[in-house]
Amino acid sequence: MWKTILRRVLIMIPELIVLSILVFLLAKAMPGDPFSGSINPKTSPAQLHRLMAANGLFDPWYVQYWHWVVNLFHGKLGMSYEYQMPVINLIKQRGLNTLWLATFTMILTYAIGLPLGIFAGKHEGKWQDTIIRVFNYITMSVPFFVVLVIGIWIFGYALGWFPTSGSISPNANGMGETILSRLGHIILPGLLGALFGTVNIVQYLRSQVIDAKHSAFVKTAVAKGVPEKDIYRHHIFRNSLLPIAAFAGYSITGLLAGSIFTEMIFSYPGMGQLFLNAVNYRDYTVITTLVLLYGFLNLMGTLISDIVLSIVDPRIRVE
Amino acid sequence: MKKRHRLAMLGSAALLTLTLAACSNGSNNSSVKTPKLPQTYSASAKASPKANDGTLKIGEVSDSPFTGISSPTLASVATDADVFAPGGQGNLFATDNNYKIVNGGMANLKLDKKANTATITLRKNAKWSNGTPVTAKDIEYAYEVIANPDTKSQQYSGDFENIKGMKDYHEGKSDTISGITYPDGEKGKTAVIHFDHLTPAMQYAGNSFIWGSVEPYEYLKDVKIADLVSSDKIRKDPIFTGAYKLDKVVEGESTSWSPNKYYWGKKAKIKHVDIRVVSTSNVTAALKAKKYDFLQGGASAADRPEISKLKDYQIVGKPAFAYSYFGFNLGHMDPKTGKQVTDKNKKMSNKNLRKAMMYAIDLDQVAKKFGNGVSWRANTLLPPVFKDLYNAKTPGFKYNMKKANKLLDDAGYKKKGKWRAQPNGKPLVINFAVSSSSATANATHKYELQQWRKLGLNVKYTSGKPMEFNSFDSAIQKPDQKNIDVWNGAWSLSSEPTPTQLYGQNAPYNMGHFVSKENTKLLNNMNNSKAWNHKYRAKQFKDWQAYMNKETAYAPDSFSLSWEPVNKRVKGYSVKPADGDNSFSNLQLTQENTK
Repeated sequence: MWKTILRRVLIMIPELIVLSILVFLLAKAMPGDPFSGSINPKTSPAQLHRLMAANGLFDPWYVQYWHWVVNLFHGKLGMSYEYQMPVINLIKQRGLNTLWLATFTMILTYAIGLPLGIFAGKHEGKWQDTIIRVFNYITMSVPFFVVLVIGIWIFGYALGWFPTSGSISPNANGMGETILSRLGHIILPGLLGALFGTVNIVQYLRSQVIDAKHSAFVKTAVAKGVPEKDIYRHHIFRNSLLPIAAFAGYSITGLLAGSIFTEMIFSYPGMGQLFLNAVNYRDYTVITTLVLLYGFLNLMGTLISDIVLSIVDPRIRVE
Repeated sequence: MKKRHRLAMLGSAALLTLTLAACSNGSNNSSVKTPKLPQTYSASAKASPKANDGTLKIGEVSDSPFTGISSPTLASVATDADVFAPGGQGNLFATDNNYKIVNGGMANLKLDKKANTATITLRKNAKWSNGTPVTAKDIEYAYEVIANPDTKSQQYSGDFENIKGMKDYHEGKSDTISGITYPDGEKGKTAVIHFDHLTPAMQYAGNSFIWGSVEPYEYLKDVKIADLVSSDKIRKDPIFTGAYKLDKVVEGESTSWSPNKYYWGKKAKIKHVDIRVVSTSNVTAALKAKKYDFLQGGASAADRPEISKLKDYQIVGKPAFAYSYFGFNLGHMDPKTGKQVTDKNKKMSNKNLRKAMMYAIDLDQVAKKFGNGVSWRANTLLPPVFKDLYNAKTPGFKYNMKKANKLLDDAGYKKKGKWRAQPNGKPLVINFAVSSSSATANATHKYELQQWRKLGLNVKYTSGKPMEFNSFDSAIQKPDQKNIDVWNGAWSLSSEPTPTQLYGQNAPYNMGHFVSKENTKLLNNMNNSKAWNHKYRAKQFKDWQAYMNKETAYAPDSFSLSWEPVNKRVKGYSVKPADGDNSFSNLQLTQENTK
């Protein structure tokens, strides 16, 4: 087991290097630069030139890449051109917001998805199953941004139950108020995200439960007279969780990715928007850092998924 | 609310509101009428002391979090200026409604034409929100922050080099700006700026010679200028000189304020002010739910019809500082001298061709269809917000297909098959560049292409489709652009609109490379020694606008309104430039909840 993990971690190093070069090249290949779009026309070309040169933007790509890597190992991720602050602070700030919202959404998604999937599988073909499947089709077919706009309109503006913008009230002071205000701000987007994000879990789990129900070992157990509860708990549920467990690793690392729709509609400053804006405004330092971070998290996600899988399913373990 | 307006190139978002803009006054006469909006609103009910103890709720319309740079010398986006507006932005001068600097602000300005000096005298009671006095050094420090060789500020302009010693300081050859002195010492109230020469533009706020705000030297002196922009003293705990002091900033999303007891002017009456970012998709719903008392920085044209229907909101506004235009590529920039050069044999060199293209587009109809009453056909390259300088009489380009055809026929652009050929018989393909933005803007550009094709001109999009906006920006700024013959762009001006930086021979942003003796003369006249006479100066501006239309090197496209909905519980709201400093302290509320 440890050997597997170690080997996987070692493989990640060249993968990350290749990724970082690719990201760097692609970012630089985009047309435009961080300055020419927003510059004050009263600024002389010399001043523009000075700002570009001071930021090393005239150097060949490999020189810029080298500087970036050296800085990276010194823990310096550079300054964001757009926000004029260290990228690390920017990511901390937005990452925290995203982490709050995404964790909350993920917990809710599993809390809703797991029972629904099992319940649907258990009652295969009956009316309960039909209702859940219809719910599933609806959540799958309605575009998510429509859900968000309607959701914020009804529960945020018309009924006024939830805050409609930001991650925290500007008037929240003290630890308790801060936490409550933060929670208040993520309930609506979190709930909508969870309700409309359960499709995969429910569908997978449902079909796995149905498969398991018809498999030989369950039939044997039924024939032996094992109580239904125990059959579900020990035989069906554990086996059905395999694909969900495989998902879990990705979900955990996906927590930092952020959701552009949710963030835009709820004016919630998170990682999704940060990335989109960085691309739009050619904020190279932010783009490269984020892509590298996401790449790293993805690799970690695969690793975690494999580890989880090998815990859940001993057959997969590679020695 | 008064906002600092800088000469800035508008990104795609702004282009979007502008290009699809225009207004519904498509009457048959060729003149253009500026739609009128009230510039003030005051609820008729009495102000309620209880309501004033509550919170004034302001929305800042933006799809992305604000950057959070409180200082006007360091910030470069409008959202930052908006969310920190209650703090007064360190504003030095009061203005009249024509943006002319007048006495009565935090400081008075005196220009001495003989000595070539500008003397700035602060009020005795001018203080920062932490109680420390505003000093002469604070006036000078703003220049240091802008011009320091290590600065992150984007505000440095060549015009500042008119200040003695500024160039040396900017290039790191000296540690101080020798041309800024303090007769009563650093801690005194007077700063004198020594110029090589004075120019009439200096009388107006937003000019590029005299910076209009202060920076708190004592408070910031421990932070290196290079690190200021990311420091907590600028982002988390900044101090201000205006009616309100900052209580809290939630990065990227909100700011909250309470009255600044050290403010030199009229004391603020409302106890709390909150400004929160609201996304464009939610503006209308938020106003329907009465979430905001008003919107800082206005909403988009597309929301105007819905917002106009809201009974509890009054729309207040004035013409915007922005306009959109068509530019024609007439030459190149000499990279050695940095000067623009007009070439005689460019594809677009024929004036008739350019005029024909303009007469072929029905800008009034475009406005009627997409403008939502917020924008209208522009008739000159100077927006009507500058009442005295705007030339309302020049007709611009009113749709006239017959005239367009005749212009081309007269100039010898004869049809050869489907398309017209150049007078010398060579085929003519015109490349049109636009930045891709909203569906309506894209539809408008398609219409423009269609009209030009109706005229028999083979006009195509450069690279086949609207360009991604970064590509567009860098493409039109190339010194010698071979693939763009005409483009559609937009500018937002500062409150001092001398257009030399956009259309002069040395202007890097004269991207159509248009140079003529007459143009240079008129531009220079706007700020020559005679131009201290306002009538003379206004005449030069008007003559220049008429001349530019005659030459059609750049042609006006659309003007727009800058407008804001104000809830009817608000008293004392004004967008008049003269109300600038007290625009927040004049506000009161008539009831506890938004109407």
